[in-house]
Amino acid sequence: MELPSPTAYSKRRPKAPVLKGRVLDLGADEIPLYSGALHYWRIERRFWRRTLEAVRNLGLDTVETYIPWGVHEQADGTFDFGERHERLDVGAFLELVSELGMYAIVRPGPHINAELTYFGLPERVVHDPECQARSPRRNPVIQPFPPRMFPAPSYASRKYHEEVGRWFDAVGQVVGPHLWPRGAVVLTQVDNEGTFFFRNGPYDQDYHRDAIDRFRAFLEERYGTVAALNEAYRRVYSSFGDVPPPERFDAHEANELVPHLDWAAFHEHLIGDALARMRQRLHDAGVREVPTIHNIPLGETGLPVSIPSIARVVDLVGLDYYHPAREHRVVKRRTAYLAGTFDFAYSPELGVGAPPWFTPLSHHDSLTVAMTAAAYGLRGFNLYMAVDRDRWYGAPIDARGELRTEASAWRRWVQAMRRVRFHTLDRRAEVALVVPNEYRRLSRATHLFGGIASPSSVEAIGGTPVEGCSEEPLGFKGPVQILWWKAIARISDALTRAQIPYVFVDSDASKDRFEDFKVVFSPTFEFVDPTRWARLRDLRASGAHVVVGPAVPTLDERMLPFDAGTGHGFDVALFDTDADAQFKVEDWIVRFGIGRPYAAAPSLVETAGHEDEHGLRMLFVMNPTRDAINASVTLPHGCRFEDVITGQEFLAEHHLEIRMLPQSIRALEVIRSPEAASNTGAPIAPPAAEHAAKPTAAPAVEPEPADESAPTADAAKPEAAPRRAPERPRRATKRKRSPAQRSRRASTPARAPKPKRTTLGKASKASKPSKPTKPTKRTGARTKKGKRK
Amino acid sequence: MISANLRFEGFDAASWTKIISLFAPGVVERIESEPASSDAPEQATPVGIEAPRGTLVVVVDDDDNVLRATNTLTGRVTGIPATPIAAVPDIARLYGASQVVWFRRGTMEELAERLAMRLRPGDDYGAQWLVLARVMRELGEARLLRLWPNSFAGVPIPSMPMLSRALDVVLPDGHAAVAVLWQRGEPWTSVAVRRMGGEIDWIAGPDLISRWTGPLGGDWRRDHRVIAAAVARNMAPVHVGLFSEEHIVRDLLRTPDAGRWARAAAVRDIAFYPTPAYVGVALGADVVRSATRQAASFLGGLKLFESIAPIAAELRSRVTDVASVSAALGFNPLEALGRFLRGEDRSSLPASTLPAPEESGADNGENGQ
Repeated sequence: MELPSPTAYSKRRPKAPVLKGRVLDLGADEIPLYSGALHYWRIERRFWRRTLEAVRNLGLDTVETYIPWGVHEQADGTFDFGERHERLDVGAFLELVSELGMYAIVRPGPHINAELTYFGLPERVVHDPECQARSPRRNPVIQPFPPRMFPAPSYASRKYHEEVGRWFDAVGQVVGPHLWPRGAVVLTQVDNEGTFFFRNGPYDQDYHRDAIDRFRAFLEERYGTVAALNEAYRRVYSSFGDVPPPERFDAHEANELVPHLDWAAFHEHLIGDALARMRQRLHDAGVREVPTIHNIPLGETGLPVSIPSIARVVDLVGLDYYHPAREHRVVKRRTAYLAGTFDFAYSPELGVGAPPWFTPLSHHDSLTVAMTAAAYGLRGFNLYMAVDRDRWYGAPIDARGELRTEASAWRRWVQAMRRVRFHTLDRRAEVALVVPNEYRRLSRATHLFGGIASPSSVEAIGGTPVEGCSEEPLGFKGPVQILWWKAIARISDALTRAQIPYVFVDSDASKDRFEDFKVVFSPTFEFVDPTRWARLRDLRASGAHVVVGPAVPTLDERMLPFDAGTGHGFDVALFDTDADAQFKVEDWIVRFGIGRPYAAAPSLVETAGHEDEHGLRMLFVMNPTRDAINASVTLPHGCRFEDVITGQEFLAEHHLEIRMLPQSIRALEVIRSPEAASNTGAPIAPPAAEHAAKPTAAPAVEPEPADESAPTADAAKPEAAPRRAPERPRRATKRKRSPAQRSRRASTPARAPKPKRTTLGKASKASKPSKPTKPTKRTGARTKKGKRK
Repeated sequence: MISANLRFEGFDAASWTKIISLFAPGVVERIESEPASSDAPEQATPVGIEAPRGTLVVVVDDDDNVLRATNTLTGRVTGIPATPIAAVPDIARLYGASQVVWFRRGTMEELAERLAMRLRPGDDYGAQWLVLARVMRELGEARLLRLWPNSFAGVPIPSMPMLSRALDVVLPDGHAAVAVLWQRGEPWTSVAVRRMGGEIDWIAGPDLISRWTGPLGGDWRRDHRVIAAAVARNMAPVHVGLFSEEHIVRDLLRTPDAGRWARAAAVRDIAFYPTPAYVGVALGADVVRSATRQAASFLGGLKLFESIAPIAAELRSRVTDVASVSAALGFNPLEALGRFLRGEDRSSLPASTLPAPEESGADNGENGQ
């Protein structure tokens, strides 16, 4: 694989970057989004070059950095961009990024967190009462993170947005000259984890007068007339200005729920609206012509955001990942949501290490989670942090630019991603589980643990998004706010046990995300969002098998009579027990021919195959249990694999036998040769030598010790066939290097040279695994024209 | 007490987790627990779990009807009968929880409002936590909130000046403190803390400390002087250093017998270097108390205290001189920590058995948190 190299800027085409599918189109280049985080102001300036080169050495051609408002703003209200403190010269930093031929993603906030005091905001702003979010009693809303609790700003406050505009003006002057193609900046992020600063309980905030104004405007837009609102609220208001925001959950019956569901919906609206305002302000300040992104923190199901709605404000939205390896199930669920809801599943913060006041994460945790996320469809990432810094541990590069022992595993991982062009691969899924936002809002509204232990916070520390919900039935047959999650969990558990790939699709997702599934499940109870119901009917009409239940709704989300219609053709099912779900899934397998690609034994082992137009390209084998397992994976044809982390090679005919340590994952790259890829019965080349002859150095830190990971007696035989040289990423133009750059490159410590790769052709057409008769969803895979890049 | 510009560096996940495990074993228990078997886990109820585990969170309405119950390790718990505040220990036993957080609906919102009302922009993190502790105690006294077991019931909540004076004793301004623990001859974890400008401004971990010390000999009884000198060179003059084996410190932190610290120091199971006056006095005082207690036990209750009374008197006078940490705070923090780590519930103990605060401003709530 070719590491990113310096680029002659004069050769760059004067084209603004565009997100095109899963790549960033820069005119001359199309780059997948693999980047690493480095905080320039936390690194001694003399180490900037070394740390950037080290990031490049990991195989990352893009560096990501925040631009911290609270650090650049000085006590006198002026901004220091290097005039007084050399570490703050972000212009010089971006110039250096450009000089090294790398790209940059900048995240100027205003909120950045980054474990900075006041989350990177100036102290004067957070302590300005006009800027502060307000509680029901109009007190400030305290963010409890160390080293200072502070009042969270209001996303509605005009004053706060004015302050943000002033900051963005300053950012525009410094960053503007460095936007692509004049400079290295190819992406910019608007705000950070826009979720009310983690104080997002249902009645936690925002009762700022500007927010209440916006709430009433939201109601007016939603209902049109006061009469319509009065009908839904069962109240008599003379104008929208009379409608008070709910300050606590006081509903006992279904018809009392509407104001609370509206309040939850307003929270989502407020965040989206604030991000739109910030994006526009950044644009006005001169930071335009580059796509924008936004990141969503852990606990997204419990958050007061509609992620698809945010994706309509910015160009790309992704999830942050900070999980221990034991949270395999959560990583799978989150990624399956991302891959099902969007074409491009991206992580703006794929945790490498952690801050000290978070769940401790080891190297094994970080790498396992990164690989698991890839297994379930993550196609782009920003390693956060690539370079170590204050209030952090676990980055693969230290603050002086030295690679730590963990770096080798990360480098192999990134190299493999590039080599197989992972961003172009697909994973088939024929079943979609639709996450119903109206029930999600009800769950938020009935949360009993308050705002500090908000739904998302509880979810983020390993709970479920309904962990704190009241058990009250609220006039329904049962607590819908809990049961919807239970139903989805039962189905997803049953699908996992049956080894059937599936994705989650947000009910707010764009229409194309629902297409091409054989089976769609979406829980329904006594009330429903008519838009979701209509969408499900459309899917049924297009041939999908739609499963709903346990009830056919009779009310809409305003708790007014709803006609579900006759002849909808849905399969209305009960999911009272795990056995119900198991029975239903088995029925789908039989009736609709739902495939179980790469089935594994024992059934607790999970697999995920990623394919290109020639067939399998990367196979993940996962053992989420706490026991070591000898796994057996069924293959459609013979394959040669290489474990991309350990370098171990395997040769398998129709069964791959592989040793899996507890809570571990293996990423197996398919090594293609005409013989091995053929599905015509041609013999697979015999192993040339035993595994012990393998020249590859074992990574210093990785989940599988060499002796433990050796195949068992019946295993596929490891090979000592010549390793292939890393494949160079495709480039439209060849980049030239200066002598100095060549010299630097030559002096960079490199791995021992590998034997040249043997001829490995593409699989023949006959080797393709048989396709299902009905087109199936390739999780986040398709361009509008149905072609993959 | 904690600087807004706090530097935290030099740890990795293992070394940091080890430190957490000493003081917050519940966090590590959660980290290391078996993953849930479902995305919507539920605990069979009631259970006869031999070893209670997890924290049971119970939310009740005004009539004590349970609106929600969930165990942090095992998931949703259904079917719990009405649970008045007094029944919390029974619920814990019945549902196999090692801890319970019980509160009335709306209490968390009330907590957030009171916290917001009382915090002041100039408060540092220590002061902010004291405010939070007072609010929680108020809610406990109002019978809106109960933590079980509550090891800190009756412990006076110090004022910020009291806390600062205690910190002045433990770690004077411009100085550093270091602790290094070994396990079977290998460094297990370490931490160095600096106080500058009146606030803790730097927390350094093993990566940094080992870079400062260079290769060590492997015997902590000799290495500790080298480590203290290295920290002094790179951080600040070391006021106190603690060096020992991990299991010894873990046991000592949990022991109800304060004299064991002195005995451990006497037999060199633990080394304090340098040994500031307050540590020396504390150890000396502990020796006296321990020796007295043991002798009385051996001799069937015969009091030997008279024979060592002069020594004890001398030590007590020095305690006063150096304004010991306990005196400054109004309680013995090591003792309180030990009770917490042992999971003792003190909420039913009479207030008279608890050390009285020496200063006005200390909150000596009984039923609170």
